[in-house]
Amino acid sequence: MNDRATDRVLIDQWREEPAPLLPLLHAFQERDGWLTEDVLRAVSADLNIPLAELFGTVTFYHHFSQEPPGRELPRVCDGPVCRFQGAPNLIEKLNAKPMPCAGRCDGPVPVLQSDEVLTGTSFDQLKTNPSPLPPPNPGAIEECVFAHIREPGRATLKGYRETGGYDCLKRVLAETPEHLVSVITESRLAGRGGAGFSTGKKWAMVAKAPGQPKTIVCNADEGEPGCFKDRVLLNYDPHAILEGMILAAYATGASRGFIYLRYEYPEAQAVLEHAVAEALDAGFLGQSICGKAGFDFDIFVRRGAGAYICGEEGSLLNSLEGKHPFPRNRPPFPVTNGFEDLPTAVNNVETFAAVPPIVNHGADWYQSLGSGDHAGTKVVSLSGDIQCPGNYEVPIGLPLKTLLYDWAGGPREGQSIQAVSMAGLSGGFLGGGDLDEVTLDEPSVRSRGSFLGAAGIIVFDERRNMVDVAKNAMAFFAEESCGKCFPCRIGTERLTERLNGSALFNDSDSWHEEVADIEKTMMATSACGLGVAAPNITRSLQKYFPEQIAAHLK
Amino acid sequence: MITESKPVVTATMTLDGREVTYTEGETIYEVARRANIEVPTLCYDPRLEPFGACRLCIVEVEGGRNPVASCTTPAVAGMVVHTQTEAVEKHRRTLLELVASENPEENINPLRGYASQELNQLLEKHDVQPGRFQGKHSGTSNKDDNPFILRDYNHCISCYRCVRVCAEQEGDHAITMMNRGFEKQITAEFDIRLKESACTFCGQCVQTCPTGALGDRKAMRAEAQKEDFKKTRSVCPYCGVGCQVDLLSKEDRLVGIQPAMDGPANEGALCIKGQFAFDFVQHEDRLSKPLVRGEDGKLHEVDWDTALDRAAEGFKKVRQQHGNHAIYGVASGRAPSEASYTMQKFIRAGFGTNQIDNCSRA
Ligand SMILES: Cc1cc2nc3c(=O)[nH]c(=O)nc-3n(C[C@H](O)[C@H](O)[C@H](O)COP(=O)(O)O)c2cc1C
Ligand code: SF4
Ligand code: SF4
Ligand code: SF4
Ligand code: FES
Repeated sequence: MNDRATDRVLIDQWREEPAPLLPLLHAFQERDGWLTEDVLRAVSADLNIPLAELFGTVTFYHHFSQEPPGRELPRVCDGPVCRFQGAPNLIEKLNAKPMPCAGRCDGPVPVLQSDEVLTGTSFDQLKTNPSPLPPPNPGAIEECVFAHIREPGRATLKGYRETGGYDCLKRVLAETPEHLVSVITESRLAGRGGAGFSTGKKWAMVAKAPGQPKTIVCNADEGEPGCFKDRVLLNYDPHAILEGMILAAYATGASRGFIYLRYEYPEAQAVLEHAVAEALDAGFLGQSICGKAGFDFDIFVRRGAGAYICGEEGSLLNSLEGKHPFPRNRPPFPVTNGFEDLPTAVNNVETFAAVPPIVNHGADWYQSLGSGDHAGTKVVSLSGDIQCPGNYEVPIGLPLKTLLYDWAGGPREGQSIQAVSMAGLSGGFLGGGDLDEVTLDEPSVRSRGSFLGAAGIIVFDERRNMVDVAKNAMAFFAEESCGKCFPCRIGTERLTERLNGSALFNDSDSWHEEVADIEKTMMATSACGLGVAAPNITRSLQKYFPEQIAAHLK
Repeated sequence: MITESKPVVTATMTLDGREVTYTEGETIYEVARRANIEVPTLCYDPRLEPFGACRLCIVEVEGGRNPVASCTTPAVAGMVVHTQTEAVEKHRRTLLELVASENPEENINPLRGYASQELNQLLEKHDVQPGRFQGKHSGTSNKDDNPFILRDYNHCISCYRCVRVCAEQEGDHAITMMNRGFEKQITAEFDIRLKESACTFCGQCVQTCPTGALGDRKAMRAEAQKEDFKKTRSVCPYCGVGCQVDLLSKEDRLVGIQPAMDGPANEGALCIKGQFAFDFVQHEDRLSKPLVRGEDGKLHEVDWDTALDRAAEGFKKVRQQHGNHAIYGVASGRAPSEASYTMQKFIRAGFGTNQIDNCSRA
């Protein structure tokens, strides 16, 4: 099966491309079903990566396999929502490998086999279903990134141009990059990937940083359980993302761009590649964009291979570069030392998608979309025990209660809401009175010891055992910890054990003492956001559900 | 090509209340070391790129929300740093208790390697409560039957010093980390044994390992002998590089060799010969008296004069029968410069031929 001549063809096809390792490994895995020793030897020799290092890197990812059945083996989501919707049954029926949340929490359980995503809550219902669109927003509240997403044909160039897509480019290119940066800064657009850093400031830093070529990276790794907002943008509005990236390139002086797409969104890869080809054809990408001499920009789509930590920007950049995907030490930051150690702007999908509307309607318009003093909108991925799960674009500052009850129809028939998660799982849980009081903006959510982040909100009704939910959440962080820094690598494991049924560690006093010490040290000393955030799970569990812990420790 | 040389910029910062000067590019940890402030570390090796895994080196920087890893954080002018606050000390103890919980608690014989006591010494120094944070152990032993390197990952704490020293110092990239998180294992490609990998058995991974998870199997042969070993600084006799070594001896026997971390030529590096190939020193087959072949065709012990006369006779005979250029001298690569000089003098001046060579010029 392993034909040296076709090895060569594939290697020659990729070796001179930017960021070649991931696509090359995917090409081999597609050809052979898994990565054979011979293939890894050939790739190591031709890409000049030491074999041991390449082996280590390959073992880091969920979806590269080195043995049959490899790619063909069905993977079933056993994320926090799917596990209540039939995932365990499907896993058993299909003899499948569980995979962490695959970003489809607003529909039936996803099953990934090769490049196909089937969904269904039971074995006989499995079929390909379109990725769910955002539910209509109630009460005609003005949207930014979702304003046109429900229009049929939107994903094509023609559909995108119908509402003025790419029209602003000509106008913007006639003005200075500084002008564009100042519009974005004034809009107060903040990163939508979780950290909330000012997008305008980030771009200004990249523009100012010495070194060429500069790079724009669109972070489409969306691995946070309960987050599926980028998926819908990628599937239904790819040109908005491309236009946002092109504007970013102009603002910063970048000449190459990457979209780092999570492995579990194969249909989005096809959509993006088609959109890139269309944009290139129409002269919105490539050399002298829109006829502007010297403005050259290309976009390459790179598919990840399954690793939550690769959404962290340093880890993402290492992954693109074909290195072991550990997060990077900071400082220096990507704005000065990013892809190939050169200035790089890494932004989230939703952040890029917000840029064209801001440029079209103005900074003031975007600011005014927020509620009260808050600027702009945020897409919330709402899932779990709720009548109408889905992606909702809310004015920042909207009361959580309004979203849950007025927009999404409240809890399921006969149930009541016990808790919601924040920032996917990274923000831990909110419960009790906070469910009625909190508003969807960072100051309000942070004042409760949590954070809004990428705004995945999972609803848990009274039927759920929150210790069990917390255990699965912590097990996810333990599984996805990159293993580089001690507090996170050991801490996530120890916290999982302490949430697990095993009686071994369940003496009440030492449980509380040990858990508190691990939490404090993880939050203070972990090297990246994963380890800093994971203790939010146990902290919020103790805050809102002490009686469930007491029952667990009995 | 003209390379711009950057001017050396110095500035000051405050460390534990003291004003200290640093050079741009130095990390907080390096500045602290120069100021004789002790900051604990486990993943740090001064020869390697800073990595930032163990987080023991955290310090508080005024104005920052969280402590920072001093080994990876560059010093900045005006920075006010505290290295031993109560909070920092508490985090260090928790980190050590966590790392101790990963593996079975055990004393590690110092013969395993140069740095093998680092973890256990820190546990002691920081008054770590044994038995906290019990749970799953992270390591597994690796059945690798090579005669040099014990791979006892039951004691591994995933500091990656071995992986990094192999890549950055030895340039072999023979080992790597497999998997993620708590499942992480140090291994070679496809989990093969070192013998089949790119490993050159230089032993540097062994000597930087802070837990003894990697052990010097040759030195460990003497573990059963109860007395402590003595270290004697010397120079490796194998080649002209002049790597400094510490000879480990018990009573009058050489039991092992460790590289001198401060050896100017080697900075803690050795090759397989310098590191492991010392058995000849005390080998029963080693010649200690001159031997000459008798009429009976067998070798007989003789005194030096007899032996030298015999050698001289042989040289003379060759010269008489075949001329000066029938003689060819090869000096041992292990001979010091002075002996090599004498050897070439002997061949050139003594026999009038330039046929002199050295075995290590391959
Ligand atoms: C563990 C971890 C996972 C992350 N995953 C994602 C992700 O999937 N997508 C994303 O956009 N940002 C993710 N981030 C945040 C990125 O590091 C980075 O801040 C972001 O991409 C910057 O874009 P923004 O400023 O537009 O939000 C993650 C961060 C951490 C610590
Ligand atoms: S916090 Fe966790 S994921 Fe982040 S660097 Fe440390 S071990 Fe890796
Ligand atoms: S002995 Fe040397 S070459 Fe072999 S793994 Fe260790 S450091 Fe690498
Ligand atoms: S074997 Fe030793 S040096 Fe290597 S990672 Fe483990 S503890 Fe560190
Ligand atoms: S020495 Fe700084 S993190 Fe280990």
